[in-house]
Amino acid sequence: MTVPYLLRLICLCLAAFFLIHLAAGLGVARLAPSAVRLALRMRASRASTFLLLLRLLPPAFALVVVAGFCAPSYLWLEPPATSEEVGWGCLAAAAFGAVVSAAALIGAVRALWSLRQWRGNAREVSIGGGYGPIFIVGGSAPFLALAGVVRPRLVATRCVMDTLTSEELLAAIRHERAHQASRDNLKRLLLLLAPDLLPAWPGLLAIEHAWARFAEWAADDRAAAGDPHYSVSLAAALVRFARMGNAPVSSPLVTSLLADTCDLSQRVDRLLECRPRPDAGGWFAVAWPFCTSLAVIGVAYLIRQPAALYWVHETLERLVH
Amino acid sequence: MEILWRRGESNVHDVVAELDRPLAYTTVMTTLDRLYKKELLDRRKHERAFQYVPRLSRAEWEHKRAGDFVAGFLSQPQSSRDLLVSCLVEAVGRHDETLLDDLEKKIRNKRRELQKGAP
Repeated sequence: MTVPYLLRLICLCLAAFFLIHLAAGLGVARLAPSAVRLALRMRASRASTFLLLLRLLPPAFALVVVAGFCAPSYLWLEPPATSEEVGWGCLAAAAFGAVVSAAALIGAVRALWSLRQWRGNAREVSIGGGYGPIFIVGGSAPFLALAGVVRPRLVATRCVMDTLTSEELLAAIRHERAHQASRDNLKRLLLLLAPDLLPAWPGLLAIEHAWARFAEWAADDRAAAGDPHYSVSLAAALVRFARMGNAPVSSPLVTSLLADTCDLSQRVDRLLECRPRPDAGGWFAVAWPFCTSLAVIGVAYLIRQPAALYWVHETLERLVH
Repeated sequence: MEILWRRGESNVHDVVAELDRPLAYTTVMTTLDRLYKKELLDRRKHERAFQYVPRLSRAEWEHKRAGDFVAGFLSQPQSSRDLLVSCLVEAVGRHDETLLDDLEKKIRNKRRELQKGAP
């Protein structure tokens, strides 16, 4: 199929993004079980950062290669104002790339749009103690969550406020504020923006689920702050909340106190243990800023090398045909 | 199947030796042959005797059994399907209640422990 200059660039970028993302994503998916086992030996907050970075690695890597190498090499070395034949393989890869990217973008926009329901019809209640206000919404279902990305709100239904004791409510609020301090809803938005490996095949879902579990544990740890009384109150709040019934399904950008009841028993046991956990992830705190800096320096160096861009251009030519 | 899951690859003699109650060699041989024909076991010949090994792990077998059971109910008229669903929901509800009771007990014990430890 003969395609003009600019359309060919878009086609090439999408195809390259899809293929690099798929290759990197399959590698990460293969490493996922070992990564989760490794994360279990880390402190929960560190483990959640580790898993989030691992999940975002394939799209970030693909984006850097496309923006840093593919597009510049094409613009620099491809003669402008020409039309050229593009192979069906390249077109198919570009179509897949467009579908997975569009699906991720639409999912993120829909999640942001669904946050509107938490903006109106809420009554603001001050709870003092530096915990900020709670917004009480209508409805009989038990609901206590942090909603929103930029300025998240603590939202609850009346029945939760009436049923939890004051200590339990305070512990639950501390848990949600811990999510706010960790910017967990912003991380959820990044996960929504990270495309699937193939259309309708979320190959990295296991890492996303593991991240969500560790993010909950990290918020529990932060809310408890090593105080056994806070821990027990939070555990009691979780059990009482579970007794009230399942929380309603809400936006992916809403962090509920008890999103997953399957994890309840483990969370309560962790809170009741109330002891500092061994952290085998000290290396990660050093390794990831070091590796990121090294990657940035490496990319900056390679972009300035004409030989690298020539090689990328030749590879792209093979991909096109 | 229990013996083969526990021991791994075994011949008829091995299985007979592991049985709780005495059974004839030919009975065990026929049973293993039937399990092989039902594709639950794999076998290979080793020194004039067959060595049998399970094709599915215990977890896979239990998953398959549960799946077959549910599929059997779902293929029946609407009333049987509803009965199955209501039984499952009831069983899960009972399990959840027991779990929450256990967790509450643990929390009460921990509170007591903390109160005792307080000055």
